[in-house]
Amino acid sequence: MNRASIIMLHSRLRILALVGVAALQLSCSTPRRDRVVIGSKNFTESFILGELMAQEIEARTRLQVERRFYLAGTYICHQAMLAGRIDLYPEYTGTALTAILKEPASGDREQVYQLVKRAYERRFGLTLGPAFGFNDTFAMEIRGEDARRLNIKTLSQASAFAPRWRAGFGYEFMERPDGYRGLAAAYGLHFAEPPRTMDLGLLARSLKNHQIDLAAGNTTDGFIPALDLFVLDDDKHYFPPYEAVPVVREQTLQRHPEISQVLAELGGTVHDDEMQHLNYEVDSLHRDVKEVVRDFLSKKGLITSAEARP
Amino acid sequence: MNVFHFMLENHDEVVELMLEHLWLVGLSTMLAVLIGVPLGILIAHRSRLSSPVLASANIIQTIPSLALFGFLLPVSWLGERADRLAIVALTLYALLPIIRGTYTGIRKVDPAVLEAGRGMGLTNSQLLFQVELPLASGVILSGIRVALVISIGLATIAAAIGAGGLGELIFRGLAMVDDQVILAGAIPAALLALSADTIMGWLERRLQPR
Amino acid sequence: MQEAAAAPAPASAPVIEFREVSYGVDGAEILSGLNLQVRAAETLLLLGRSGSGKTTTLKLVNHLLSPTAGEVLVRGVPNAKSDVIRLRRSIGYVIQDAGLFPHFNVERNIGLIPRIEGWPEERIQARVRELMQMVGLAPEMRARYPHQLSGGQRQRVGVARALAADPEILLMDEPFGALDPLTRDELQREFLLLQQRLRKTVIFVTHDLREALRLGTRVALMEAGRLVTALAPIEFLQSPNPLAAAYVKAFGGDLESLARRGSS
Repeated sequence: MNRASIIMLHSRLRILALVGVAALQLSCSTPRRDRVVIGSKNFTESFILGELMAQEIEARTRLQVERRFYLAGTYICHQAMLAGRIDLYPEYTGTALTAILKEPASGDREQVYQLVKRAYERRFGLTLGPAFGFNDTFAMEIRGEDARRLNIKTLSQASAFAPRWRAGFGYEFMERPDGYRGLAAAYGLHFAEPPRTMDLGLLARSLKNHQIDLAAGNTTDGFIPALDLFVLDDDKHYFPPYEAVPVVREQTLQRHPEISQVLAELGGTVHDDEMQHLNYEVDSLHRDVKEVVRDFLSKKGLITSAEARP
Repeated sequence: MNVFHFMLENHDEVVELMLEHLWLVGLSTMLAVLIGVPLGILIAHRSRLSSPVLASANIIQTIPSLALFGFLLPVSWLGERADRLAIVALTLYALLPIIRGTYTGIRKVDPAVLEAGRGMGLTNSQLLFQVELPLASGVILSGIRVALVISIGLATIAAAIGAGGLGELIFRGLAMVDDQVILAGAIPAALLALSADTIMGWLERRLQPR
Repeated sequence: MQEAAAAPAPASAPVIEFREVSYGVDGAEILSGLNLQVRAAETLLLLGRSGSGKTTTLKLVNHLLSPTAGEVLVRGVPNAKSDVIRLRRSIGYVIQDAGLFPHFNVERNIGLIPRIEGWPEERIQARVRELMQMVGLAPEMRARYPHQLSGGQRQRVGVARALAADPEILLMDEPFGALDPLTRDELQREFLLLQQRLRKTVIFVTHDLREALRLGTRVALMEAGRLVTALAPIEFLQSPNPLAAAYVKAFGGDLESLARRGSS
């Protein structure tokens, strides 16, 4: 009885091992028939980009698209790519550089893009498609009326007025070494009082209501056009580039080369101000992401209304 | 019910994630058995070692699971692949019940039976494999059963760090504030835990020494 | 009758020998300066109360314990120098309450050592049948498990198991102690018959003088870790040794017939 029970245990373990190996094969590089899984992070801009790629692929190819949005962050998305759970997702070059590759932030747009692309290909079997055309990095915002009245367009020009201004920043921007501290050093910014730390959601309103005169936001924030805010140009290139790019599995491209073409078509089609507007429509006007993207793609002539799938 | 309709429509994803979940749990439990059972046997035979080993396993268990995932992230070999990390963490968590089950099961074997066996000329390994382990198998299995059920639950948290499995649906559903998606992950996970518990319980009963 | 008791099979050297053996644990001395010889086909009864060291003496023979001083020799070879597994396989060991493996049925319990020794299956089956008959177990018992057997049946299995590989030596530690008087009597009688047939060298531990006189060819009295005296049953009864006399007195009458009956 003892021998029988030990043998039974052994064979069950062996079966489990086989199931496990099978599952690993399945989960690692699932040969999905004609299906492509697109992921995105957990905020509006990411949904929009994900939806952009999804609708374009649906319109231009025979592939079925599965959307897995709302992934919790960069690391999660990266792991999902490595495990083959998703084939494609929108990322930012600067984020890939610092958070995944753990390199120091530096360089200009083209340099960073090439660095990330090469490293991703070499290390992860992933590659980058052409950039979408906008840079979502930190934006130093002032009121539009001030920009026009003082006739300033760049941060260097603005530094002359800093001693008369009050600044407001989010917690993270204050804490990060490549945030406020580095910026102040690079441009010689000296404010009347120390900058106020406040909740991100309140920054725009405080700026509008003259409670602060300079705020740190993102270059593609929807409320920039809505509230008539002006983004000062980072003429000293202090902030690293955060170009939006599609990250895609090389295996997926091999299996479905038509995706490369779609990504090429999408390259450079969304400029900073266009992205601001798209964000605005979803966040402030509360329009459905799918509709917003469909309208955008139609307007750009990238899909016809006949091709668009409901 | 809506959730079943959802699961049917997305059965590819649910099945894929369930297999991933089983893989995470299966591999880690197997590793924990391979490490924990021999360790349990060792400390059952050498009582001096029992306190430190059981205490260490206990300490690991008291670390909150999410925190353990967090601690292990910076370790580059682990952080690189979330599923690797999850498997290591799940294995560590499964150790205590398995070590303790093995230890208890073997200590409970009637010393008279062991003495008779030794006196008859059974070697240590013959005693272990033909007498001690078979007699302890019920208790050892109950330890494995506890480990398995805990792992199935813990593996849902592993999705928080990108390891996949059914937890991925739960977290996504939470972010989307969509019940269907949450349940599409939670229900299979619960069913998995129940089945594992039932199957192991049946196995335990079959192997009880009469 | 006397003759049978006093004349073991001729053998020049003792099968089991204790030379100045002491055994202590954690500073407490359990045995001191034990000198003892057991000859072939002898049934040596170790008699004494709990704590007298008789079980310890038994366990030194099959090397379950190691002496802290002196030497234990089996078949002329000191235990310290012999392979402990081979030694134990050549000695049958029966303990109180049998110590049967609860997850094995009767047949597997009895056949364990032959199976480990690699005997062919048929030979094992034949041997099990033979032994079951020898110890008085009905053949249909072979598939039963220990918890399904009575105390007496379990002990029979224990004896059969000990005899399975046909060892020359048998060690028995109060084997009938946990049984009711009727069963004990039955088993004692059967032991005598078996011993007559098989002529094993036996060391048998007991605290019961009646059992000692009935079963032993010699009775070795132990007290506080020392051998007090070792005599044939009849001589024991007449011994002037104060402790022996105390035992005789304590156990009451009709011992002579036991002493004589046992030796026939």
